Amino acid sequence: MASPTTATPKLAALRSLINNAGIGLALLFLIVIFSFSSEYFLTANNITNILTQITINLILAVGMTFVILIGGIDLSVGSVMAFAAVVAGKAITLPGFGDTELILLACVAGLGVGMICGLLNGVISAYWGLPSFIITLGMLNIARGAGLQVSNAETIYAFPLAFEEFGSMLIGGVPVVFIVALVMTLIAWFVLNRTVFGRLLYGIGNNEEAVRLAGHPVFWYKVIAFSISGLAAGFAAIIYMARLNIASPIAGIGFELNAIAAVIIGGTSLAGGRGSVIGTLLGAFIIGVLANGLILMGLSDFLRQMITGVVIIVAVILDHYRAKYSAS
Amino acid sequence: MCSAVPDPNPVAAPDDILTVTGLKKHFGGVRALDGASFSLRRGEIHALVGENGAGKSTLIKILSGVFPHDAGQITLNGAPYRPASPHDAKASGLQVVHQEFNLLQHLSVAENISIEAMPRNRFGLLNRPEMNRRARVALDAIGLSDVDVRAPVSSLGIAHRQLVEIARALQSDSAILILDEPTATLTERETTRLFDIVTGIRDRGVTVVFVTHYLDEVFAICDRVTVFRSGETIITENIPDTTPQNIVRNMVGRELEAQMGAATAARIPGDVALSLKGLRVASDPNPAGVSLDLHYGEILGIAGLVGAGRTELLRGIVAADPVLSGTLECNGSAVHFKDPRDAIAASIAFVTEDRKDEGLILDMPIAANIALASMKDISRGGLLRFAREQQIAEEGGARLRLKCGSVRDPASSLSGGNQQKVVLAKWLARNPRILILDEPTRGIDVGAKAEIYAILRDLAAQGVALLIVSSELPELTNLSDRIMVMANHRIMGTVHRPDFTEEGILNLAYGQSDTSPIADLQIEGAR
Repeated sequence: MASPTTATPKLAALRSLINNAGIGLALLFLIVIFSFSSEYFLTANNITNILTQITINLILAVGMTFVILIGGIDLSVGSVMAFAAVVAGKAITLPGFGDTELILLACVAGLGVGMICGLLNGVISAYWGLPSFIITLGMLNIARGAGLQVSNAETIYAFPLAFEEFGSMLIGGVPVVFIVALVMTLIAWFVLNRTVFGRLLYGIGNNEEAVRLAGHPVFWYKVIAFSISGLAAGFAAIIYMARLNIASPIAGIGFELNAIAAVIIGGTSLAGGRGSVIGTLLGAFIIGVLANGLILMGLSDFLRQMITGVVIIVAVILDHYRAKYSAS
Repeated sequence: MCSAVPDPNPVAAPDDILTVTGLKKHFGGVRALDGASFSLRRGEIHALVGENGAGKSTLIKILSGVFPHDAGQITLNGAPYRPASPHDAKASGLQVVHQEFNLLQHLSVAENISIEAMPRNRFGLLNRPEMNRRARVALDAIGLSDVDVRAPVSSLGIAHRQLVEIARALQSDSAILILDEPTATLTERETTRLFDIVTGIRDRGVTVVFVTHYLDEVFAICDRVTVFRSGETIITENIPDTTPQNIVRNMVGRELEAQMGAATAARIPGDVALSLKGLRVASDPNPAGVSLDLHYGEILGIAGLVGAGRTELLRGIVAADPVLSGTLECNGSAVHFKDPRDAIAASIAFVTEDRKDEGLILDMPIAANIALASMKDISRGGLLRFAREQQIAEEGGARLRLKCGSVRDPASSLSGGNQQKVVLAKWLARNPRILILDEPTRGIDVGAKAEIYAILRDLAAQGVALLIVSSELPELTNLSDRIMVMANHRIMGTVHRPDFTEEGILNLAYGQSDTSPIADLQIEGAR
């Protein structure tokens, strides 16, 4: 069973470790292959590179895990990220404030925009019982349009220096933004495994009616799950701005698909109720390592994209058999 | 003539079109059919009756080629008959009109009638005029000339949809037409019209098999009736030679005393725990709704046929489904539940009929399932306390003698009986004052049943009010202090423990309350 909702946390951790071992082995396998095929792959510089590259996807994927665990999907995260970035960009370039105030304001604006978009996704799909695929597809367009409207389709830049430095800061070769994403992942793990809220998200994904009849406000739990995904998109927007020092209304196109891919490769079931954020972390690593390694091997970006697609399909097929065996 | 079956070798009368001998079918360990024998004559209306699970549906599925039989023989027109598929059965001239509609809502009547063989023109395209013409002929043949064949099926009423299905079934020159509970959703006037048409079909030489829960219908239009009980055919009788009471007696059988566990000694019920006054749920055609009083320390059973509105009533009480009108009183004061959460807060627990779809989270550990309704007890500040959860689960499991390796195993690893105990444990962990159960022992073995009965009796002795819906009459007569019988979303009567007879209860369930000379019943005003 991949649902780490076992009665004792020690056993839960052990089980989730075993379940994630397969994905971990696949990741290890990739790393070994690439370290043989390219001398540059295992250098400190390249590792820093990979960690920087997967940060945004990891943040979006961790938020996405909450939604997919309840059997939903959030297609809007890429657009919401761009919209949040544009609003935060407007805030951070306001004249007449100190740097600290501006950065704080931008964070509040970016996270707020992301969370409100997620909240709307959740309220609309949960209240009318509509498929989140459609609702978030609508939000994908709304947020993209809103971002372009707010920014007049122009890229916003010239942020406070401290903010730009934060984006490229390293601690012992590890990007600070990656550490932030990792901390988020651990918080998500704690919420999903140690809180009533997390337990009931797994429950809703498995059997929504049983959870409702047990007297739990399923509607609100769903709304919160979608809000978390939106909040993660807002968070990704801030990190994105700090790293690239711009806020572009056309950022994040297709990011939702990479995030979904990371969640699925990480072994979370699209049907809901089964999976973990540790898997998502490994899934994000697999996508990042694959992209980096294939480029180092000299493959064209087109081939890289094809191979990533194959990996997604193989991961789902493997997961199908894993689910079957663990059920019997 | 009253030919008593089972007869090992019924002599095939010359006008018999279909003969079934010693038919058997089992699913796993369950014997759905255990020696069914009867015959159909050309041009008769033959009723099949029996309690839920007596084997009627299985028989129809075998005849219509849904699945094969295990043993026994079927002959059709003198030749062995063993359809490999529904298509095969249709080709042999046997058509079934199912209880659930098989019509495509958004297509026209004509398209639905021709769906199996669309007429084509010489370019291989759909020949619409020919299709409409065929549909017209098919509808006229059953006297349905007032229906436009081009109208979409969704624009028709339920009765007309049923008739369109019959027209579709008949257009391919069927020799045998099986109607599976055709009147379940019809009004009286629509039923009359259906009967006229069915009689007309019979007079044209078609054999009609009529599966129904309503005995008055059997007596209104059928020529013969075969009674099923526990997978066997008990008797085939000519309608003029029998009575409704006779049929009910044959459906129930004689094994009334074969019951498990010590029968309940008379309990003295306490105060009224729950009082319904005209409660009406969404799917309820009866505008008056249902009224009842449930007392602390009593077990009130609700009997009735599938579709009588029992589950809907329970779901309405706990606000799992919306309530249209009526009031609910808890401990004498009016309450209004918006969702199951409110009902739970009022100390009501509801064990649903379907443990897999509504009761359990199969992939989750047993402990998580038992604690599902007691999250406050196993958490502090929103954080789970795993030790406390395990303790509650183990205590609950021990109380119900749950057999499991570890409460950390997934609920899916348990047998049906133990799964049901997990559902019970989930609700008992809340110490409810009112316990509502829908089919509490469905699909579980005899040993587990007896254990669950003991638990339920024990709860009643502790003063809990229990409301139990069950389709197994022995279960209700065994457990209950009173049994209310529902039919068509109405309470047909209430029987008290000293007056329990399965015949009396079944007569009420089959809507025979007025004409029943054998039931010594206290009718509490069938509203």
